[in-house]
Amino acid sequence: MNENDNNFTELKQLLKLKRHEVPPPGYFENFSGQVTSRIRAGEAGGQRTFAERLEAEVPWAVSFLRIFETRPGVIGAFATCVCLLLVSVVVHSSRADKAARLAMSIPSSTSVSGSPMASMAAPALMAASDSSGIIASTNPVTSLEPVSTLFAQPGSGSLFQPAGFGVPAH
Amino acid sequence: MSMIMSEPAPIQDANTPAGMLEGDLVKRARRGDLAAYDELVQRYQQRIYATVYHMTANHEDANDLAQESFIKAFQALKSFRGGSSFYTWLYRIAVNKTINFLKQRKNKHHFSLNDIDFNAENDPDLVALTSDKTPFRAVGLTELQKKLNEALMRLSEPHRMVVVLHDVQGQSHDEIAEIMDCNIGTVRSRLFYARQQLQGYLAEYAKPA
Repeated sequence: MNENDNNFTELKQLLKLKRHEVPPPGYFENFSGQVTSRIRAGEAGGQRTFAERLEAEVPWAVSFLRIFETRPGVIGAFATCVCLLLVSVVVHSSRADKAARLAMSIPSSTSVSGSPMASMAAPALMAASDSSGIIASTNPVTSLEPVSTLFAQPGSGSLFQPAGFGVPAH
Repeated sequence: MSMIMSEPAPIQDANTPAGMLEGDLVKRARRGDLAAYDELVQRYQQRIYATVYHMTANHEDANDLAQESFIKAFQALKSFRGGSSFYTWLYRIAVNKTINFLKQRKNKHHFSLNDIDFNAENDPDLVALTSDKTPFRAVGLTELQKKLNEALMRLSEPHRMVVVLHDVQGQSHDEIAEIMDCNIGTVRSRLFYARQQLQGYLAEYAKPA
């Protein structure tokens, strides 16, 4: 490195010229005062802009955004990634929705007892429906809806049982 | 035998900001003491300004950036954990701010160079440089300043920063590595490359001795 330094002796001397470039006379007398008064003004008026607050509180986000400013190509790449992500989410969700609908749908012509899912889910209900006329369905509103004949024919397969109050004989 | 009487150093009260150690000033500034922070600004204003100025080659930009660096440092003081010195931490803020500014300002160079002070003409290095034996003999001081700044502005920001910190401001490789958050090897290679580039740019106008 010393040999390298020797190769640049004149250049280093030339660069020292920069040390003689000085600001206008009296410049530094007011400098610290200007800084503190700007800090005071910012504190008093809450004049920090959204960007300044963001920079102070979330510096990593600001440096991330600065990448876009300095490298415009990155914006395109980022936008493409976001679009692809969005499209894949939409496709995935529509597929999932379709599959769920397929799994949940029961053809109207199929009887309840014929559905393997229904028989697995509520065998007791199936038995009840067979005997009492209750139509089982995946729809919670209609699943326990009694058929119109339930009260009309209390004797036939009704859920009601006649109660008898016999007086014990002494 | 005559003795050179030096002027006695002013006695500073340790209770005033001017007499305080850097660490105490930082602690007080963190609690919102602006008088303490004012003292910190005064201690480092010239070095911070000079670094920014040599990077931008523009007094107005350097003024704005140096002030903004100090303001940002004050606002971020709570996040300063003392892992490095306040001075290094402050430098890092100024360097990052300047490099970001230069990236945004790319290709919009407008010089408003500070004047060279009168001491420059008596500087032994410059006297030697502009003497008959060097390639720069035929160039006036002001012109030399302009050419040098033009050459510096042709360097990339990290290369220019290393040259400014090392060759202009006299910082060590270690300090530069800490300020620029890179290893010493990177600092050395950037410095070598930047000097080579500068020599090439300045050789265009320099006449052979």
